[in-house]
Amino acid sequence: MSYAQADDRRVDWEGALVQRAGAGDTRAFERLYREHAGRVYGLCLRITRDAQLAEDCTQETFINAWRALAQFQTRSSLATWLHRIAVNVSLGKRRKATPVEEADEDEEGPQGGWSLETPVEVAELEAAIDALPDGARDVLVLNALYGYSHGEAAQMLGIAEGTCKAQLHRARKLLRKRLNMELN
Amino acid sequence: MGTHEQRKVGSLRELPTSIEPPRDLWPQIQARLAAEEAGAPELEPVARPRRVPLRYMALAAMVACLTVGVWIGRDLVPLRGGTSVPLSAANPHPSVPGEAGSAVDAAYVSDPRYQRQRAQLVANLQARLDAMPPAARDKVAASLATIEKAKQDLERALGKDPSNALLQELLINTYQDEMRALADVHEASDPGRGI
Repeated sequence: MSYAQADDRRVDWEGALVQRAGAGDTRAFERLYREHAGRVYGLCLRITRDAQLAEDCTQETFINAWRALAQFQTRSSLATWLHRIAVNVSLGKRRKATPVEEADEDEEGPQGGWSLETPVEVAELEAAIDALPDGARDVLVLNALYGYSHGEAAQMLGIAEGTCKAQLHRARKLLRKRLNMELN
Repeated sequence: MGTHEQRKVGSLRELPTSIEPPRDLWPQIQARLAAEEAGAPELEPVARPRRVPLRYMALAAMVACLTVGVWIGRDLVPLRGGTSVPLSAANPHPSVPGEAGSAVDAAYVSDPRYQRQRAQLVANLQARLDAMPPAARDKVAASLATIEKAKQDLERALGKDPSNALLQELLINTYQDEMRALADVHEASDPGRGI
């Protein structure tokens, strides 16, 4: 079975679960939770940088999703929908926990991949990402790790696409400095 | 992030995007959903275009009709003594789909609450059927047997096409129809209620 076929089966399967969950079946919703909790928690953790806050955000994400399931369009990706909710919830909770000024640069940054010239230990790379300013880290996580486009990331974060690109440029510059190496 | 992984990566894309929460968050989510459900209006089901072979639609319709038949049967005919009738649906253990079957129906069948409720209803089924007049009893027995057959057919079809979401849904609906039918028979022949 090809990856695409496997993915189709997963989507079909999810559609039925979403439909049942939308009709009030919590068991179906639990299966969706089990399927997506890891990626949602991972995203919340990277945005909030706080395990306890990330747990709260994950719970809030799924509760909000349950409330809004009837409005969810099954033709769109459930993962993307959940991530959008997770980003909203995480940004809100982070603002409450540690109000910080968001940088609002509006410069075009260079596009490119995120491969490293020399492999780096995961822990070291995670620490470097962790040390980034919030705005730059948010964009980096959504774009470079989760694979969302600038448009999608900008929409999720509620910022302009140009700002998104600028933040990514900033993240790249800071990571390069921190890791003392080149990012290709 | 608190990771201490020694593995080296050559790209940011190699970093894990899925991180399991340190504890199971579902019980708390479930508790909050239950609390909301107690005070909130019922959610509307999501409308979704469906495509399913006609024979399964027909099967589903037949099961629905027969379920109604059980209901009418217990509702219209007065309760009297009767003889025992062998009934395939009286099997205390519902058929469990094979490995090729879906996880959803397996989850329903293996759910302890479902098993317990069904076992209770099936335990008294024969006695309750015995208490029915022959015509009503035959009707109910035939309906339950057809539901059982529908379950087997759907499980077989799912064995060939395990990812068919609508077959999975039909199977779950059939389990629910069976439970409703058993509950109706139970309720209808409850001493003191009459039929």
